[in-house]
Amino acid sequence: MSYIPTSQARHMRACMVCSIVRTYTMFMQSGCPNCDSFLELTGNADAIQDCTSQVFEGLLTVSNTSKSWVARYQRLEGYIPGIYAIQVEGILPEDAVVAAEQAGVHYIPRDGSVSEALPTEG
Amino acid sequence: MSGYDHRSGSESEDDDFNPEPMVDEDDVATTGNAKRKPTVVADDNDDDEEQAAPRKEDDADEEDEEEGAGDDVENDDDDDEDDEDEDEDEVVARPHKRRKKTKRNIFVDVEAEVDDEEDEEEEGDDEVAEEVHPDDLLEPTGADLDDRRHRELDMKRQVNAQKDAEQLAKELDEKYRRREMQRAQKAAAGSVPMALPTVNDPSIWGLRVRPGKEREVILAITKRIDDLNRAGQPVKIYSAFERGGGTMSGYLYVEADAKQDIIQIVETIPNVFMGQGQIAIEVKERPDLLRKRKRTPLEEGGFVRMVRPALYKGDLAKVVEVHANGLDCTVQLVPRLDYGLGEDANAANTDNKRKRGGNFGRTVDRPDQKLFNEAEAKKKHMKHLNLGGSTGQKTFTYKGDDYQNGYLIKDVRINFVTSENVKPSMEEMQFFAVTGADGTETLDLIAVQAAQKAAQSGSSFVSGDSVEIYDGEQKGIRGTTVSVTGDIVTLKVTEGELKGRRIDAPVKTLRKLFREGDHVKVIGGSKYIDEVGMVTKIKNDKITLLCDSTQAEITVFSKDLKRAADSATLGNDSDFELYDLVQIDASTVGCVIKVDREVLRVVDQNGNVRSIIHSQVSSVVGRNKNAVATDRDGSEIRNDDTVKEHGGEGRQGKVIYIHRGILFIQNRELVENGGLFVTRSTNVATMAAKSGRAQATGPDLGALNPALQPQGPNGSTMPPPRSMGRDKLIGKTVKIRSGPYKTLLGIVKDTMNDEVRIELHTKNKQISIKRTSVKVIDPITGNDMDFGGKFPNRSRGGFAGATPNHNGGRTPAWGTSSRSSNGPSWGTPSGGRTPGWGGGGGRTPGWGGDGGRTAYGGDGGRTAYGGGDGSRTAYGGDGSRTAYGGASGDGSRTAYGGATSYGGNDGSRTAYGGFNAGGRTPGGPSWGNSGSNPKPNLSAPTPASYNPPTPGGYSASTPSGYGAYSAPTPGGPLMDAPTPGNFSAPTPTDTSANNPPRGYGGYGGGYAATPAAAPTPGAWAETPWGGAPETPAPSGEDPQYE
Repeated sequence: MSYIPTSQARHMRACMVCSIVRTYTMFMQSGCPNCDSFLELTGNADAIQDCTSQVFEGLLTVSNTSKSWVARYQRLEGYIPGIYAIQVEGILPEDAVVAAEQAGVHYIPRDGSVSEALPTEG
Repeated sequence: MSGYDHRSGSESEDDDFNPEPMVDEDDVATTGNAKRKPTVVADDNDDDEEQAAPRKEDDADEEDEEEGAGDDVENDDDDDEDDEDEDEDEVVARPHKRRKKTKRNIFVDVEAEVDDEEDEEEEGDDEVAEEVHPDDLLEPTGADLDDRRHRELDMKRQVNAQKDAEQLAKELDEKYRRREMQRAQKAAAGSVPMALPTVNDPSIWGLRVRPGKEREVILAITKRIDDLNRAGQPVKIYSAFERGGGTMSGYLYVEADAKQDIIQIVETIPNVFMGQGQIAIEVKERPDLLRKRKRTPLEEGGFVRMVRPALYKGDLAKVVEVHANGLDCTVQLVPRLDYGLGEDANAANTDNKRKRGGNFGRTVDRPDQKLFNEAEAKKKHMKHLNLGGSTGQKTFTYKGDDYQNGYLIKDVRINFVTSENVKPSMEEMQFFAVTGADGTETLDLIAVQAAQKAAQSGSSFVSGDSVEIYDGEQKGIRGTTVSVTGDIVTLKVTEGELKGRRIDAPVKTLRKLFREGDHVKVIGGSKYIDEVGMVTKIKNDKITLLCDSTQAEITVFSKDLKRAADSATLGNDSDFELYDLVQIDASTVGCVIKVDREVLRVVDQNGNVRSIIHSQVSSVVGRNKNAVATDRDGSEIRNDDTVKEHGGEGRQGKVIYIHRGILFIQNRELVENGGLFVTRSTNVATMAAKSGRAQATGPDLGALNPALQPQGPNGSTMPPPRSMGRDKLIGKTVKIRSGPYKTLLGIVKDTMNDEVRIELHTKNKQISIKRTSVKVIDPITGNDMDFGGKFPNRSRGGFAGATPNHNGGRTPAWGTSSRSSNGPSWGTPSGGRTPGWGGGGGRTPGWGGDGGRTAYGGDGGRTAYGGGDGSRTAYGGDGSRTAYGGASGDGSRTAYGGATSYGGNDGSRTAYGGFNAGGRTPGGPSWGNSGSNPKPNLSAPTPASYNPPTPGGYSASTPSGYGAYSAPTPGGPLMDAPTPGNFSAPTPTDTSANNPPRGYGGYGGGYAATPAAAPTPGAWAETPWGGAPETPAPSGEDPQYE
C-alpha cells in the first residue's frame, strides 16, 4: 500500500477502470496495481493521461476489499487495499475498453453515467 | 501448500524483497497476488469461520498456482503446450494465465506421456517438427521395439475424434463460461448485481471532520492502516470514505464492526471531531452514501460558468470543445486583463504570492471583462505578446494564454466549470453575440443556451408532433406523439417493427422530425421565438429555416419548432410599444420608433436615433397629461397639439410627448424614424390646439379676470370648473395644524380630493392628511401664508357681505378658478373685506403700507387682477399661477410670468386699454408718472415680466413693481382719486374695441355702476391678498380671518 502525502494530494489521479487513486508519479513508476496487465500504464505518460482522471470525487480507503461492503458496492472486490475514488469522471478510450474486455474485465464507467444500482426494494 | 501459504503471508508484508515469490509473480497474475493479501491478513486473525467463502476461492487459486509453479520447474516442454493452449484460448477469449494452468491441470497426465509425438503429428511440417527431428532420429529404435504406445495414441485419437464436436464445444463452453464468471466476479463486473448491504455487513458510522479536510483525513487513515499492516497488527476498520464538497462536506464515513475500532484508529488524527459523536448509518441508507452524482455533460457551443481560475470565477464561458477524454474542455472567455497597467514595478514578487494566499480564492479588484486589446497589451507587455494567427483570425499568445478574436481560449478541467444554473444575462450574452454576427454557424448561441434550459420540460411537445427517439435503447424509433405527461411523452410508433405500438419515452431522448419545406414556427428556447418560416436544412437536431418575416435564415433546435400553418405574429412579447417614451438614462429619454425582438430603436431627446436593447431601458416614462411647453410665440403647447417647425424643414405634426421643452412630434407622412421627429418647443409655432384652447397671441386678460367672467348676477352660470394643471398646494411648505403630526413641517407632494400627501421635514416619511389640517407657511420665514384651502367654511359668510356685482363676478370666478376649496377662500377675504372696507375710506390710507395694492385696487379691472396679483404675492408666485390659471383657463404655468407682468402691465394696460403692445411699457411710465416717482420701477418690471415668462422674472419684477406702486400710494392718497379716474376712462373704450378687454369693460361697467365702490373694491380686493401675507399691518387688521 502506498501512502500519498498531503502535499502530493493535488497530483492525485484515479484509474478509470478500477478507480484506484495514486499520484501521477506513482502511476508512472508502477502503473495501476489492478489493471496494469491490460492498461499498461507504467512509464506510459500517454496512457496515464488517457486512462486515469484528475477529476474524481469521493475518496475511499479500503483495508479489506472483500469484507468491506463499501468495497463490494464499489466493485472493488479482488483489488488491492488502498485508496479509491467513489466517482471518476472521464471517458476511457475505446482501445482501452477493448483491452479491458479482452482481459476479462467488464468495464463499467464510474462516472455515474450508467445506472448500476438495482431497484432497492423488491 | 501450507508452506506456500506461509510464504505469501510474508510476501504481503513486503512484496518486492522476497526473491522466492518473484518466480511466482511472473507467473501469477497481479490480481491473484493482490487478492491473496487481505485473506492472509485475515488468516492471521485466526477467524477461519468468517473466512469461509473467500477461503475456498483462495484455495483453488493456490492449487493452481502451485500446480503452475510445479510445472514450470518440472516440465520445460510445457512451454510449447502453453503456446498451444493460448492459441486455443484465443478463439474464445484472451487467456488468463492462471486459468491456463487450470486447464493444463486437467490434461496433465494424459499429455505427459505423449507430448512429443502429439506435437509432431499434429503440427506436421512445422518448425516443431524440425525441432524434434533429432529426437525422431533417435527414436526409431525405441519405436520399433515398442509401438504399443503408438497404438494407444492412435486409439485415443480415434476416441477423441469420435467425440461429438458438439459435445466438445459444450465442454469448452462450460469450462470457459465458468471461468469467465469467476473472473467477472473477481473484477467486480456489472453482471453481478450490486450487493446491497445487509445486517451482516460491517456497520458504517459517520464522523464529523473539519470541512475541506476530508481528503486529508482519508489519507491519514490510509497511512495508519498501512502502519498497522506493516506492524502486523490487525486492522479493524474495513474502509473509510468521504464524499467531498456539497452537502456531505464535513462528514467522513467509516466501515467497521464496532465503534470502538473506529475510535482507535481515528482518534488521534487531526481535523476529526470526535467530540461530536458518531452517527450510525442505517442499512437502508448506506447505498445513498455512495450514490454517484451524474454530471450534466458539457455540450460544445453551450454556456458554462467558470469555477476555478479565481480571476474568472462566475464568468460566463462558452464551451468550444470537449476533449476526447471527457476531462478537459476548451472554453471561450471574455478576458479580464489589466495588461500590467496596475502593476507596481517595484513591488516584490513575494508580496504578490502572500497576497494570493491570503485571499482564499476571493477575487479582489479583478479587471473588467473586456475583449483582448492588442494595443493595450503592447504598451507594457510587449515581451509577453506573440502573434499567432495563421488563418484569417487574429490570434495572440499573451502570457501563455491564447486569444482569438479578442476572446481568451482556455483549456480547463471540466470540474473547473459548471453547467448548472448558468442563466446568462443579456449583458453577458452580448459579448458572445458579437461573434454571432460574423458567421451563421454561431448565430444560435442563445438558442443553445435557452435550449439547455428548456430541455427539461415536455411542454415543447404537442400531441401530433412527429418525433424520433435519438438516444437510449429505443434509438431510431419514429412516431407521432399521443400525449405528454410531465417529462414523459407517449408516442405511437409509425415506422419499423413496432409500428402501431404505443411507447413512452422521456422528453430528453426525443427530437422532433421535420422535412425540408415544412412550414414551422419557433415556439421557444431561442431569441427567434414566434418566428415562422420554411425549413431549408436539417442537420441532426438543428434545423435551418427561412423566416417569413425577415427572409433571413436562422438555425434552431428542432425541439423548439412546431409545424405551423399560421403566419408570423411578431413582437408581442416585448414590453415596449411603438412610440413609447422610454427613459434611457438619467438624463436621456427617447421615443421608440421600432420594436425588435431584443432591440429597440429610439429617437432620443437630441434627435439622435439609437438602438438599445430592452434591458437598457430603465423605464417607460409615459405621457404626462399636464406637460406644457411654450412655442416661439409664447403660447402654450400641450400633447396632441399640432405644431409646425419654424424654419428648418418646416415639418409639422402632432405633439405626442413634451419633455422638458423638447417636443416629440409625429407626422405620419414622414418616412424616416417612423414619422417621428424631435425639436425644441421654442422652435415651433402652434397650428391648432387639440383642446380648442384659444390661441391667443398673448394671454387672454379678459378670460383671466374672474370679475369679468360672470355676466349675470348669478355665479352659477359660470362654466363648470376646468381641471387645470396641478394643485397649487403641491410643493408648498405646510405646517400641520392638527392630528398626531401637529406642528410638524412638510412639503405637499400630492393632493387628492380633500387630502394632501405631505412629506415631513422631520423624517423621510409621507403622510396623508386632510387639507383642512394643514396651513401653508412661508418656507423661509416660517410665517403663515394666506392660502385658500384654509378657510373653506368662512367663504359664504364673507360672500354674502360682498357687493353683489363683485361677488357675482368674483366669487364664482374664484370658485371655478381651480379647486372648489379655493373659491370660498377667495370669497372669504372679499367678504371679510367688505365690511372692513365698509369701515371706510379711511382704511385706504391705512393700507398705505400696502399702498401698492391700493393703487392696484384703483385699477378697477385690476381688482380681480389685483386679486390675482395679490394672491400671487401671497403665495409667493404659485398663487399667482392659480389665480391666473383660473382666470384664463389656460393653466399654462409658463405664462405666469406673463401673469406677473400683468400686475405691471395691467396698470399700464388699464390705462391705455391695450395689453400687448410694447408701447404699453412706455405707457407704464406715464402712468407711473401720475403716481409720481414709481416711473423707473414701473417700467422696469413691465418688460422684464413680459419677456421672460419665468417665475424668476416675475418674482423679481413684481415686488418691485408693487414697491413702485406702494411708494406713491401712501405718498399721495390723492392717487386713489386719479387712479380710478384714469382707469375708468380708458377701460370702456377698450372694452368696446376688442373682446378680451371686454371683460374689463364689464368690470368697468360694474365699477361704473358703483362708482363709490369703484375704488373700494380695488383696494379691497387687493388688500386681503397683499395684506395678509405681505404686510403685517393688514393682516393685523384682519385678525379674524386667520
